Amino acid sequence: VRFAVVLDGTVATAASQAAALAGFLCDGLSDGRGAAASEAHGELSGETFVFYADDRDKRRLVDLAPTRDVRLVKTTARRPDLMVDSLIAPVRGGGIELVLTAGGAAGAEVATRLACRARGAVLTGALSVAVGSEQLHGRRAVYSSHLIGRFALSARPWCVSIDASWSDGARDPGPELAPGHEILSDTDETRGSQVASIEDVELLEAPAANVLARSRFLVVAGYGAGSREGAERIARAARRMGADFGASRPVVMNSWAPLDRLIGVSGCRAAPVLCIVVGASGAPALHWGIERAAFVVALNPDEHAPIVANSDAAVLDDGLTVIEALAEIVRP
Amino acid sequence: VSATRQGADLARASGLRVLVCFKVTPDFEALRDADWRAAATRGAVETRYVRRVLNCFDESALELALRLAEALAQRGVAAELDALSIGGREVEPYLKTLLALGYERATRVPPAPEPGSADAGLAVAGTGAGADETDVAQAELDFTPGVVAAIVAAYAERVAHSDLIVLGWRSGPGDSGTVPFRVAETLDWPCLTQVTEVAPLGDRRLQVACTADDGPLRLTLRDPCVLAVGNAVVSRLRVPTLKDRLARRERPVEVLAAADLGVDIAALRRRETCRLTGLETIDRSRRGVVIEGPSPRAKARTLFSSCLRDILETL
Repeated sequence: VRFAVVLDGTVATAASQAAALAGFLCDGLSDGRGAAASEAHGELSGETFVFYADDRDKRRLVDLAPTRDVRLVKTTARRPDLMVDSLIAPVRGGGIELVLTAGGAAGAEVATRLACRARGAVLTGALSVAVGSEQLHGRRAVYSSHLIGRFALSARPWCVSIDASWSDGARDPGPELAPGHEILSDTDETRGSQVASIEDVELLEAPAANVLARSRFLVVAGYGAGSREGAERIARAARRMGADFGASRPVVMNSWAPLDRLIGVSGCRAAPVLCIVVGASGAPALHWGIERAAFVVALNPDEHAPIVANSDAAVLDDGLTVIEALAEIVRP
Repeated sequence: VSATRQGADLARASGLRVLVCFKVTPDFEALRDADWRAAATRGAVETRYVRRVLNCFDESALELALRLAEALAQRGVAAELDALSIGGREVEPYLKTLLALGYERATRVPPAPEPGSADAGLAVAGTGAGADETDVAQAELDFTPGVVAAIVAAYAERVAHSDLIVLGWRSGPGDSGTVPFRVAETLDWPCLTQVTEVAPLGDRRLQVACTADDGPLRLTLRDPCVLAVGNAVVSRLRVPTLKDRLARRERPVEVLAAADLGVDIAALRRRETCRLTGLETIDRSRRGVVIEGPSPRAKARTLFSSCLRDILETL
């Protein structure tokens, strides 16, 4: 099977995309008989399409590529639709059967548009895929992450964007996958695009989101906080203990906490040593954001709330009262 | 045709035409762990008796569009709002509400021919699609985002002549998150995802805020675009006053068959290239040790001494 990896070097996340894609090639892709694809070397060959907007990034980006063979394409930043313009000819003409893109919205857009245009099949947010003789079998979250769905992709190219969780602790490309790079082509496709539909793109600061991703001690407020005041009391208790403060989607959507405090699907995926969840039921969307925590404590009066079974320790009581009592004991 | 228009300013002399699409879904929070385990074994989720809710991202989209129309009106620019949902009769109360709130048109496309509708033809006498068949058709559409996108794109192009399409970035049960991209691809438009705000910029352009994979962005839009709404702070659809409801009660919800839009649902479903073949449960359980004590304070003390003290020392 010939595959292509797409690396979007027009944004600052290129290194984590590359590490996640390399991890997926090692552990997420199998040959359908259960063997990791990297072990079944002979049957797989691939190249990486590295998109860049600035010539100065080229060298660094090539080094990130998880395959030896690299094709460089200069393009307009943040335009997955234009990246597909550059991919369509090589994918159709080069016999590429499987295209892998990074997790996140841009990767999903490239995979989806490419599948539409090349009349292939798309799987977004793939947890794993297995290459069969006729079909590609893949798994991804469905029903708002309550279940995992198994899918079969028929038409080729199979366009797959990987799940964002592949960025977790992703390692650098190993030598077996990146043994020095060979640049097969370098094309400038920026001139060809006369479209300028999106202008004045400006990246804004998101200070708290970065803090939460690196947090070692996290307190998360759920809808059980009951009000903005309740959420603020939990935030104050967190501060007293030297913990970072995050919030579930219902809390943020009620403006009880700022948007950059959001933990969960489409918010932050944290990996703290200790995570105390106050008054959240622990719906899958939130759980995705805390499941990497080494130790989870649930403070919730409802013994049937999923968070209780999904915690290491639980206190079945009013979360606000317990977290404030805890803040008097724990010192930073 | 507006759909392929490029390089022109967004709002034409006639105003900005905004199509907002929404989905009414089962409230998954109402299902228990045991229900999900049973669903995985059976290969299907039983949601007929679960209450319905607006997909949360679509709800943001509906309210964002109302606010955009108000902001444009303040600048003397007209905006025309269209609402579209693919669903059975259960979506009509939502469409009625949107008409009362000032949406110009509210349209429902049934997932299957309905008894009493023109396209059900002679099958009206009890042999047309009943509630159960509509449920089955709906469930089948959940995992065929290509069909949903074809209906949205055809409606935007043929009926609404939209300049802007606003919809939630994803919705359960399918969760593919691909509908906005497919619509944009069909119309040859760009797509912005995780949109959180949209506001007029001057008379002819829009300023959009969205959350990219590498952080929040702000940008300017001049051409038709698909906006896939993410975690917008504007998350609740306003409630119409009784006066609004009375003033607009005569406005009908339009029901349009997919075939009228040139979309052959059955043929598209047969051509689907990504099929759901099974379901698996996810085991998220941990030890779940319950800390006992006579009072919240006592429980906090036990929690600290039995678990937290050792962990906190390692930080």
